[in-house]
Amino acid sequence: MAEHQSALLLRKQLNDLKKNPVEGFSAGLANDDDIYVWEVLIIGPPDTLYEGGFFKCHLYFPKDYPLRPPKMKFLTEIWHPNSFDKNGNVCISILHEPGDDKYGYEKASERWLPVHTVETILVSVISMLADPNDESPANVDAAKDWRENPVEFKRKVARCVRKSQEML
Amino acid sequence: MGNCLKAVSSSNDDISLLREATSIPRESSSSSEQLGPPPSYQETVNQPSSLPVYYPSPNVSRPASQLTEEEQIKIAQRMGLIQHLPTGEFDGSKKNKECAICMGDFTIGDPIRFLPCMHIYHTECIDDWLMRSFTCPSCMEPVDAALLSSYQTD
Repeated sequence: MAEHQSALLLRKQLNDLKKNPVEGFSAGLANDDDIYVWEVLIIGPPDTLYEGGFFKCHLYFPKDYPLRPPKMKFLTEIWHPNSFDKNGNVCISILHEPGDDKYGYEKASERWLPVHTVETILVSVISMLADPNDESPANVDAAKDWRENPVEFKRKVARCVRKSQEML
Repeated sequence: MGNCLKAVSSSNDDISLLREATSIPRESSSSSEQLGPPPSYQETVNQPSSLPVYYPSPNVSRPASQLTEEEQIKIAQRMGLIQHLPTGEFDGSKKNKECAICMGDFTIGDPIRFLPCMHIYHTECIDDWLMRSFTCPSCMEPVDAALLSSYQTD
């Protein structure tokens, strides 16, 4: 798909999200001149430890989007057992490059699909945020806390939430 | 939903294997692959746009001249399978009004391709995708499995 088509598709999504905002996050461009870098503010999901937090993240779209996934990075510090590495990079399977890998680690259907939009990506990230588990600990220290020391885990999440409010 | 610990390490393996196997000097790309904050998107396709680039597996992209024989066969087979999928022109009679890949509305006369699961897309949009992943973007049905079962029922 030609470069200008990815820009058109992203522009369309931006306009759609401005017209019909989706609950749970607000999305815009990090810099008005660059349609390929988005800045998103995720509102900590209600009734979770992250409630009250505002988490800023960036999405970096490739020129051949939607054939390839964007990369996503949390700029606000976050303490969570899954799906974020220590630098805040989001590691969920739907953001993994498409195709069948020879190791059989993930099926093609679990990986990136070109029907994903900013909205579907954010919905996945928010649901993961709301539902920590210890199946795939991307942040091993946070996973250890979450499993063995829930009090400490809660304390660290609360600190992130507080810090995220100060950042605004 | 998984994390990317394994995927990241395996992708690094892929790239390092690729370098050893073909020993292509990659100028700027190697430094951008070093760990660190990724402020800008890392383009894996550094080749001139005139050369076709293929995607033998996730995180691996290579120009046609650097494919192994096995990969060439696989890609040729894939192209053949794609060409066997029926095409047509959008005539307005389908329930689907929008191509789920480009999110653009179908207009009468647009070239479209039918997948065995009966989902339709712009031919150009879906063909590019099927070269990367032989999966229907809407229902995640593997296209080859659906093709085989449709042959069996014939």
